[in-house]
Amino acid sequence: MIALPVTVFSAVASVIGARAESRRLAAGARSGILIVFGLFTLALALILYAFFTRDFSVKIVAEHASRELSAVYLLSALYAGKAGSVFLWGWLISLFSALLVFQKRDNHQQVLPYAIAILAIIEAFYLFLVTYGVNIFARQPSPPVDGFGLNPLLQNLGMLIHPPLLYLGFAGFAVVFALVMATFITRSTDMWRNNLIRRWTIFAWCTLGIGNILGMWWSYNELGWGGYWAWDPVENAGLMPWLLGTAFLHSISMRRQRDYLHTWSFCLIIFTYVFTLLSPFITHGGIESPLHGFYGSPFPPYILAVMMVVVAASFTLLYLRRQDLKGKQKPASLISREGAFLLTNIILVVLVFIILAGTVLPRVIEALGGAKIALDRSFYDRICGPIMLILVFLMGVCPLFGWGKSIWKSAGRNIIFFFLAVIVIDAAILISGIGNWYIAAVILCGLPLFIIFREWYRGTAARHRSTGKNYLRAFFSLINSNRARYGGFLAHIGIVLVALGIIVSSFYGIERTATLDIGESMSAGNYKLSYSELIFKQDDVKVSAVASILVSENEKSVGIMRPSYAYWFSHDDFFAEVAVRTTAAEDLFVSLVWTGFDPEDRSATFRVLVNPLIVWIWVGGAFFLIGGAVSFCTREKQLSGDKE
Amino acid sequence: MRKRYFIGGGILLVAVIYLLYLSFGSSVSYYVTVSEFFDRGTELYDTDIRVAGKISAPVNWNAEGLDLAFTITEGGDDMAVVYRGAKPAGFKEGTDILIEGKYQSDGIFQASQLILKCPSKYESVVIE
Repeated sequence: MIALPVTVFSAVASVIGARAESRRLAAGARSGILIVFGLFTLALALILYAFFTRDFSVKIVAEHASRELSAVYLLSALYAGKAGSVFLWGWLISLFSALLVFQKRDNHQQVLPYAIAILAIIEAFYLFLVTYGVNIFARQPSPPVDGFGLNPLLQNLGMLIHPPLLYLGFAGFAVVFALVMATFITRSTDMWRNNLIRRWTIFAWCTLGIGNILGMWWSYNELGWGGYWAWDPVENAGLMPWLLGTAFLHSISMRRQRDYLHTWSFCLIIFTYVFTLLSPFITHGGIESPLHGFYGSPFPPYILAVMMVVVAASFTLLYLRRQDLKGKQKPASLISREGAFLLTNIILVVLVFIILAGTVLPRVIEALGGAKIALDRSFYDRICGPIMLILVFLMGVCPLFGWGKSIWKSAGRNIIFFFLAVIVIDAAILISGIGNWYIAAVILCGLPLFIIFREWYRGTAARHRSTGKNYLRAFFSLINSNRARYGGFLAHIGIVLVALGIIVSSFYGIERTATLDIGESMSAGNYKLSYSELIFKQDDVKVSAVASILVSENEKSVGIMRPSYAYWFSHDDFFAEVAVRTTAAEDLFVSLVWTGFDPEDRSATFRVLVNPLIVWIWVGGAFFLIGGAVSFCTREKQLSGDKE
Repeated sequence: MRKRYFIGGGILLVAVIYLLYLSFGSSVSYYVTVSEFFDRGTELYDTDIRVAGKISAPVNWNAEGLDLAFTITEGGDDMAVVYRGAKPAGFKEGTDILIEGKYQSDGIFQASQLILKCPSKYESVVIE
């Protein structure tokens, strides 16, 4: 059962190699892709079968699953291991290539075969990794009675969805990359106006963004430290391709309107794709990460090599096609919409550059024989915070600009005064010392929200007047009339909500730690927490201590919270399960960080956090999803008519 | 037109590098292992620093006062550490740890932050 797929795999890898050369035989290539997808799926099914039957003679099953592990988490056990995660990623790419094969070919017949060939080469790389790098079907020489089990921290809903979403995003960008490269090979520049690239980009961008936010959610709810972002190399690796993807998304939506910046968008997608490879490079041990575990897998050198090949090949192509890249239009005024888009693009790239420097530079210095240095997170907070605020500001200004016109012509005088007012108020707050950066930042965040709602209100009101529809219907038909634009607005609202949540919770949060005996209480903000009992429970996998805490807010009882602390036999260690009470205004986060498991002395140490507005970070994620979906559903007709 | 872009790009690049330089200088902390620390004599006393080592006995955790006292060891050298705050999850003997703080002249390292490395057993933690 095990040997079969391996041989099939190597056969497939060679088939792909042959196919890439005969890509002009388009039909053969297409069926090749489908066969690869079929085999990949078969292999996936076999692996999953091994997991579900708990066949511990297969190495990755023995390492990541156990008899007690519930069926749902068997799925996440698949991608808990290096080989498994790369395998899943490769499978997604093969799925997407198969989807491309079924794409309507009427207007893409030149481009698609090339895109498919590029994807086939990428697939071959993944196949190589999971067969020759680390054989996913490797056997355990002496099958254990029970598997090692999945780390308890990973047994969480967020962790079930977060990695596949990231891989969906990464694989999606591979498709976008292949499509863009194909347009350059075939010189079919009209592809840029096409919905295909746009849709894949939105899809990849959206899944990657939500994947990152779910990672934050998991870290917040499961890791017990009450934070959601630590600027860890692994997190940075998920963020950087998303930021570059954001820049690319904006550059293609600008290209629909304006015919320039070809080289720029081309470079952006190359680097977006290369940065998606950076993530496995880092997690597989290329760069040491303190928060996430790591271990030496044989992948990093291969991944690094592929990154270099991709960069070299892409830029060679760029050089060969340099005549095609000359823009036909002259850049317009900087204070116009394309000026703002351009600025956004540059700032995003600068941001990525800084994060990359912070992630890689300490290791480079160390490798060159310099001192061992570590960056603390204040580096990122101090430098990225202000830059992200500039982005929020641009998001506010942007809808006011017209294409190619300066703001003075397109926006009303009064709105400009409003802008100046915000800037003056912010400056006054900072200079006078009444407030601080955070208050200034919150006011700034209000700006894009206000502008978006104003745009919506005006559009809705105009429709209401002209069509006589009621306001609600007028609003929906407005969104419907230009889904690309209004989907973008929805995503912007999401960004602002996330920004608000981050700013307010990181500045106005309260943290208290105390050791309490039964009957004692502690306070945090407006909350009073009374520790009333501690119960010990034991099952097959763990012994846990569950505390009951009566919570009252402003003297009014609001309920009982039950954080717990457990000893897991399989891992010979303690894990905390936090309790969180969420309201729109703030989260009360209680973590039981220590207890002696002594029936005589039930004292326990609690860490309590009050995190204001944190729920809006997750709500913001939902807006991404809706905005992405609305924008994804734009019809091609609408795009070409989009002169907004 | 081209010239304007170059000038703009140049200014931007300089600004970014300057900003990077500023924040790098203030956020960067050197880290040494326990034996490297002592090899330097008293040079690194009373400076903000990170020290890497393995947690070793004795570990004294006083829940009442939220005091954690332990020793870290590396390359045959030991260093006594005290930390005020809750004992972090996964804190136990044999785990690799990075401590941040100051080595006082009384011979005790006052840690302001503890960063635990996932021990090899949790290799499966990584999944992203």
